[in-house]
This record gives sequence, structure tokens and C-alpha cells, in this order.
Amino acid sequence: MIGRKHKALLCLASLTVLTDGRTRAGTDATEEYAWHLPKSFPKPYVPADNPMTAAKVELGRFLFYDTRLSGNRMQSCATCHKQELAFSDGRAVAVGSTGQLHPRGAMSLVNVAYSGALTWNNPKMKTLEDQARVPMFGAHPIELGLGEDSGFLTPLRADPKYKALFERSFPGNGDAFTVSNVVKALACFERSIISARSPYDQYHYDRDDSAVSESAKRGEVLFFSQPLSCFRCHGGFNFSDATISARNSARALEFHNNGLPNGDGTFKTPTLRNIAVTAPYMHDGSFKTLEDVLDHYAAGGRGSGHDNPNKDPLIAGFSMTQQDRSDLVAFLQSLTDETVLHDARFSNPW
Amino acid sequence: MKPPAFLKSLVPCLFLVLAAHGQTTEQAAPARLTILGDVASRLELDADDLAKMPRMTVTIPDPDGTKVAYEGVPLRDILKRAGAPAEKQLRGKALASYILAKAHDGYQVVFTLAEMEPEFADEPIVVADKRDGKPLFGYQGPFRLICPNDKAGARSVRMLESIEFVQLKK
Repeated sequence: MIGRKHKALLCLASLTVLTDGRTRAGTDATEEYAWHLPKSFPKPYVPADNPMTAAKVELGRFLFYDTRLSGNRMQSCATCHKQELAFSDGRAVAVGSTGQLHPRGAMSLVNVAYSGALTWNNPKMKTLEDQARVPMFGAHPIELGLGEDSGFLTPLRADPKYKALFERSFPGNGDAFTVSNVVKALACFERSIISARSPYDQYHYDRDDSAVSESAKRGEVLFFSQPLSCFRCHGGFNFSDATISARNSARALEFHNNGLPNGDGTFKTPTLRNIAVTAPYMHDGSFKTLEDVLDHYAAGGRGSGHDNPNKDPLIAGFSMTQQDRSDLVAFLQSLTDETVLHDARFSNPW
Repeated sequence: MKPPAFLKSLVPCLFLVLAAHGQTTEQAAPARLTILGDVASRLELDADDLAKMPRMTVTIPDPDGTKVAYEGVPLRDILKRAGAPAEKQLRGKALASYILAKAHDGYQVVFTLAEMEPEFADEPIVVADKRDGKPLFGYQGPFRLICPNDKAGARSVRMLESIEFVQLKK
């Protein structure tokens, strides 16, 4: 027979489970993740072997901000992907845990769930699960500086917080503390970082004419006009032709030579959402402002890149008045979604 | 008499400024659609005119797979109203006719007249003025073409400003 004291403890225990077992949205932790997307946004593509659950998203958030996932115990994913900078780092190129400068800048993670290819120019890197291993274990360059067999899971295993989070995220799978599960959880958290509530969205999709300035409205028309043709690479709801979704996961992706000096490679078109907070720009961080980027494209490339035979024909240059330039910048600024920059669901849980 | 040197230097500057303005789109398209060319009567249609014509809705997926409902008037009906050949008239010389659709930003595409007819194409091309029940605006509107038969979206002209009917053999 259960005594009153035990009954009270059971109630407390069930409440704890209930509290821990529910997401912030109030759904059961093992249930499919609730995206809460606006009508204009399709459901992201999710690999069949890593379905989105609220539990994995939550675990992934703790891992994302955990400095124990770096060789120097001082860095985490969030070091190069800061929420207030739309999950970029404000540097021209990223810096690894050994101080090594990387050849390219850290990309924004906002709406990365819709990205058909990851990193700047690797068409074979298609899933966040695969990509997460690069910063964790990559040696050229060294990013987080972990070794896959370096025992980095040991302190996580000893942490009661993680014990609950891992068991809830991967129930019934034996030892839940595996590299495979770490990258799955990180991928789920990254996929959850959706930006869809910018002033532009309120104007364009919700039809709130007061949401953006007249200058931004003119800039939008310019952006989508034939002479400038910015939309040809930065089109669609995510302003990137490298966008895929659950409905369109097999889309063929294009990579572009952007007319930068020594730019023999081709690059994925990054999203322009929140672009105003992700300076400096381009893969090498060589442009400090949006105006610089616009001038680059208006000129049809820069330096030796201007006449590079591999330059994408779309980067042919265009005429732009000072007013046009200001309007385009106003339009790009209207893509800043303050909610995603401050949303507690994406912030440091530690 | 030769113009002064300073005027000579101003001419290229003026040309450059005009060229720059001519190549960019500073405003969205006007809410007026012109049908011109080899038609019996040049037509100027505004939103009210289109609202009074027989209307239809076509639902197509956008590039991201989201289904979008566009509402408007079949282009065939607009051309017919302007006096372009249709139905049984569309044979012989009339088949050597094309339509040039022009956008406010200078974009142009071509259709054959035959593409307007159900005998040649499965679904009608539509001059749309509403998307999901709301008027088109900004870079999409106020009028745009919707071409349900096309796999690519390149002929779905946004900011549609004029439709020119050209009959090659008269």
C-alpha cells in the first residue's frame, strides 16, 4: 500500500517527468516537432533516419552551446554561430579552437533547414548530420578541435542534465551517448532555427503595408527586376536558389562564381534573410557593408574576377543610382527578423 | 556654330544619367494593361475592367512546391475582345501570329497565338491580378501572366504592362 508521503512523491515525480517531458510548445517530447510555419514557408526536408522531435531539438540546443565540445574547452558551435548575428560570427573568416584562421567565413545557420547543400561550395555535403562532423572533428582546418575517440562524451555522460536529455531523445537504443546521436541532436536544433517573421514577411505575405518603408518597397521591385536580376540567384521565400524543402528535396542546385579576385571556385547562394546582421560578406568576408556588395555586383565583379571566364554570366553588372542603392539596402534590411535573433528557444540554455 | 566645350562634355554625362534611369525600375508597374499591335482596336484595361470580365482561378505550385491560387482573366478573352483571331478564325495565316508580352522592367516573352486556344494547349494562360485572393502588388503586380502549361516559370511575366499582337502574314 502506498503511503501518503509516497503518493506525494509520486505526484512530484510525475510532475517532474511532465515538466521535463514537455517542450516549450507544450507537446510531448517524443512527438514530432511542431514547426509552426507560416503558410508561405514549406515544411523543411528532414532525413528519414533523423526525424525531428522536440526532445532532440532541446538536446541539440544544450550541445550547441556546450564548450565541452571543443578541444580548448572554450568554444562551442555558438562561438562561430552567435544568435544575435543570425548565427554567424561577425568575422571575415572563422577562427578555430587552436587559433587557426579558416579560409572562409562562418555561414549563418538561420533557415539552414532549407539549404540543399551545406558549407560554401560542397555540393556533396547535403545533411546537417554529416556537416556537424566537420567542425567537430575536422583537421583542415581545425575548428572545434575534437577527436572522435578523444573521450569528449565522457564528461557529458557524467552530467545528470545530459543523462535525462539523451535518454529522452533516444529511448530504447542502448547507450544513447554516441557521436551519431550527438550530431543528430545538433542537426535537429539547427533545423529548428527558422526565420519567417521579418518586416518583409509582414509586408509581403501578411500584406501589412506599414511593415516596411517606401524605400524598402522600391528596393524589392528593383531586386526582382530584369535589369538587376538579383532574384535569379536569391529567389524564392528563402532568397536562395540552393533552397530545398520536404516537397522539393531533389532540386538540382546551382553554384556560382561570383566575380571575386582569385575566385576560381563556385559558391552556393546563401540566404539573404537577416543579411543586415551578418557582415562582413562573401565567402572571404571581403566586403564590410551591403553597399559594398551591391557595388560589386553592379560592377560585374572586382579586379581579376571581373574578367574571369568562369564568372557566372548572371553577374554581368547593372546601372544603379544612389537612390536605387539606398532602396536596395532598405529592402535587404527589411529581411532582418528580430524574433529569431532573440527567440529564447534558440538561446543559450546553460 | 560649334557648341562650347563644356556643353560637349555635358552631353555624355546626360546620356549616362538617362541610360542609368532607363535601365532600372524605380516604381512598380502602373495598374493599366495595354493591348496593341495588329488588333482591331487598341485596348487599355485597368483593374475594374478586368474585374468585370469572365474570371477564372488556376492553382499552380511555386518553385518551392507551395500551391498558390492565381485569379484573373484568360488572356485569350482579352485578345478576343481586342479583335485578335480566335476559335475558327485561327487557321491558315492567322497561325503565323505571335504575342509579345512586355513587363514594366523591360522583360519580354513571346507566345504563339495558337497557345491561347484549348485545341492547342491544355490550360489557358491567365492575366492574373490576385494571388490567394489578395491583389498582386509590388514586383509581382498589379498584373502578371500565369502559364499553367509551362514547366518553367520564365514566361509568367510579372509587372505585366502590355500585350502586343503581331500578325506576320496579313
